[in-house]
Amino acid sequence: MSLVILLAVVVLAGAVLSVQAAINGRLGETVGVLRSSLLTFVVGAVTTGLLILFFEPAQAVSLLDVPKWQLTGALFGVVYMMVMVGAVPVVGTAVATVAVIVGQLGMGMLIDNFGWLGNPAIELSSSRVLAMVCLGLALVFMYRSSVRRSG
Amino acid sequence: MQTLDEVSGAAPATRSGLRLLLLPLVILAGMGLSVEAGLLGPLGEQVGHLWATLSIFGVGSAILFLLLLFAGPQKGPALTELPRWQLIGGFLGPMYVVVLTLATPHIGIAMTMIAILSGQVGKSVLIDHFGWFGATRKKVNAERWLALVLIVVALILIARG
Repeated sequence: MSLVILLAVVVLAGAVLSVQAAINGRLGETVGVLRSSLLTFVVGAVTTGLLILFFEPAQAVSLLDVPKWQLTGALFGVVYMMVMVGAVPVVGTAVATVAVIVGQLGMGMLIDNFGWLGNPAIELSSSRVLAMVCLGLALVFMYRSSVRRSG
Repeated sequence: MQTLDEVSGAAPATRSGLRLLLLPLVILAGMGLSVEAGLLGPLGEQVGHLWATLSIFGVGSAILFLLLLFAGPQKGPALTELPRWQLIGGFLGPMYVVVLTLATPHIGIAMTMIAILSGQVGKSVLIDHFGWFGATRKKVNAERWLALVLIVVALILIARG
């Protein structure tokens, strides 16, 4: 039951993410990639900081205690944000989203399969590969419909 | 403001080339998201989900601040002159990151991404279709619906294992 709730929350987070992509694409057009990204990250940091102050229970291990490579996630986040802010106005929200998905799932399956970065290993099955093929085709359809409209 | 259709009408060849150039870049950015999620899950288990999220936004803010500082003056209006609703993207980011740290240790990164995308794609097609949040309005044609169907098939395939 809790797994179903967790999945529903994750699906909702996906919807939220695409709303954010649309807003930031618009914002980036107006004020530039750097400023819109900085705004997003600062507001995110301040919001998270407030939540920690008031709601986070004390933790035995702090961010300063973990290996430094575990803190490099932000680098990928910054790169992602800047690419999306630049790309969404050009390729459209839907096409950009599908391209991200292909990269996300491909890398996600690799990490799961080999248990990289300290994650539990989940074996790559044939249905997972088939799912990737479906997503590749979806990307082709999204891209073709996008090109035809502007041509 | 210049819309997408006006721009592509002016220089279709350049736009098409730019698109092809941008697509692999966007795919790479997506791969980075999975690496980020892969780092976040174990980190959140150790230091707490909100602290893991703060590491993302704190480090990200610092890097972007430095980049902006050395990039020089920026064109366009001041952030304070923008419509307020354009600033709410910043509140949405932490929601996504917290959910990532919560979910990946329990259901794996690929499953998490599948669940994320089922919300993501449905929503983004709707945004294009209705032109929500100031995005350029695009008619959702048969090919896009077909793409959506393929993604649903992919969802079912991965959910079944």
